[in-house]
Amino acid sequence: MVAARANGRGNELITLDDVSKHYPNGTEALRDVDLRIESGDFVFLVGSSGAGKSTLIRLLIRDELPSSGRVWVDGQDVVRMRRSAVPKLRRRVGVVFQDFKLLPRRTVAENVGFALLVTGHSDEEAREETERALSLVGLAERRDHFPDQLSGGEQQRAAMARALVSRPKILIADEPTGNLDPVTSWEIIKLLIRVNELGTTLVMATHNAEIVNALRRRVVHLDRGMVVRDEREGLYAA
Amino acid sequence: MKRVSYVLSAAWQGFWRNPVMSLASTFTVGLMLLLFAFFLATDRGLQATVGVLESKVELALFLEDDAKVSDVLALRAQIEADPAVSHVDYITKDQAMARLVDIASRQPDIQIVDISSNPLQNSLEIKLQNAQDAPRIGATLRQEVGKGVVYEVVDNPSVVDKLLTITRVLSFGGVAVLAMMLVVALFVIVNTIRIAVHARRDEIEIMKLVGATDWFVRWPFILEGMLVGALGAMAALTVVVLAAGPVSNALVGFLEIVPLSFGAAFLWQLVGSVFALALAVGGGGAMLSVRAHLAK
Repeated sequence: MVAARANGRGNELITLDDVSKHYPNGTEALRDVDLRIESGDFVFLVGSSGAGKSTLIRLLIRDELPSSGRVWVDGQDVVRMRRSAVPKLRRRVGVVFQDFKLLPRRTVAENVGFALLVTGHSDEEAREETERALSLVGLAERRDHFPDQLSGGEQQRAAMARALVSRPKILIADEPTGNLDPVTSWEIIKLLIRVNELGTTLVMATHNAEIVNALRRRVVHLDRGMVVRDEREGLYAA
Repeated sequence: MKRVSYVLSAAWQGFWRNPVMSLASTFTVGLMLLLFAFFLATDRGLQATVGVLESKVELALFLEDDAKVSDVLALRAQIEADPAVSHVDYITKDQAMARLVDIASRQPDIQIVDISSNPLQNSLEIKLQNAQDAPRIGATLRQEVGKGVVYEVVDNPSVVDKLLTITRVLSFGGVAVLAMMLVVALFVIVNTIRIAVHARRDEIEIMKLVGATDWFVRWPFILEGMLVGALGAMAALTVVVLAAGPVSNALVGFLEIVPLSFGAAFLWQLVGSVFALALAVGGGGAMLSVRAHLAK
């Protein structure tokens, strides 16, 4: 069964099998987590701070390894993959964060193109794909601005353009609206929905009950490291 | 190639992002390389001098006037049997006198006033393979003195001895000092690169996040370390070029040895060695630093 999954069983893009993660200080971040996410899904990860959402996200990009259990992303065994294979995994998984993580001394276009240039793409490829990603997020006319000349929502859109520029199969958003006002948050959510409609699988960790309740998408609720609820058209709270 | 130009410009920017630290480490590396070049040149010079002197080293065996030719020839054969001996020449008293006259004719302060009688002796002149064997062979031959053939043994390899001692001390001392300088230079480079890594930690985080390979992340820092090394090498070689004349004159005055000029081959070898060490120390130090601070 495990071997079959390695070859990408069905449409499953993300698979967690009995995954636990505990840290040397005794914290149990995840306990016996089983999770399957299919290609094209839009999944909200909810739960209080410290419930394990960020740990789960870090496992998916192999920023961390589980203490036990297996993690598969896009048909690849993330736990057993060689260190040298990690960069290729990350090129297929885009990530955006609450704090945007833009480089302050580079323009929007440079920030976006950076993701391609440092992964070995040519100048020309980087330019073309950057323009595509910037128009997707609606920032084409702001391409030569620096991050501190942008609003919070624009900065998050720039970060999304950077995450999407390498055409990833999966976009992971860790509290993408955490620093934004409600109106701007909705702009970002609309953009995420659009990205999802274009075929990118979306995993979004959030505390924003209003958005979760309005969208009625799949909700995976984590509590003290365990999946306590997994509903198809869920609400923020049960 | 955008990749190469990215890596190169990142290395260059890294160097100038913290110029005080970069120049301090360049200075330290330069100092170490200067010592290295100095030892290399001195060692080579002394070795050449020793070589020249060694080829001249001779033991002279003055023979009794009434020694039998057969005994002399037997002694000669015995000496030649020693593997340390290169060859033995039999010099008659007439040949010795002719040589003396010849030397005197070229030395204005020596004059030979009366050559009607010849006070010189027949002798055996021994050339050795290796100067270090002179005391041993000299001691063996001294046992022959007073037995009717050998009148006196003269060996004077003290200059060579002195040089050999200096070469040995310089080699040991040089290696020790160099090792210490190497540790200091590595330490400074590791710290310089650590600061560079720290200054670019956000960029590194994003590079890793978007899937840049480890080497793509590391190369700018390794090149920055090599840049520190290369600039240090240029500084050191500049000093070597400027100081070569005065220093070799001082050495000649101090050691009373023949001044030697190094050929172009040695100069290229020196430049090559200094640059190789510079790049190895710079790149190696950076790699150590990057391994320690970019792990994960």
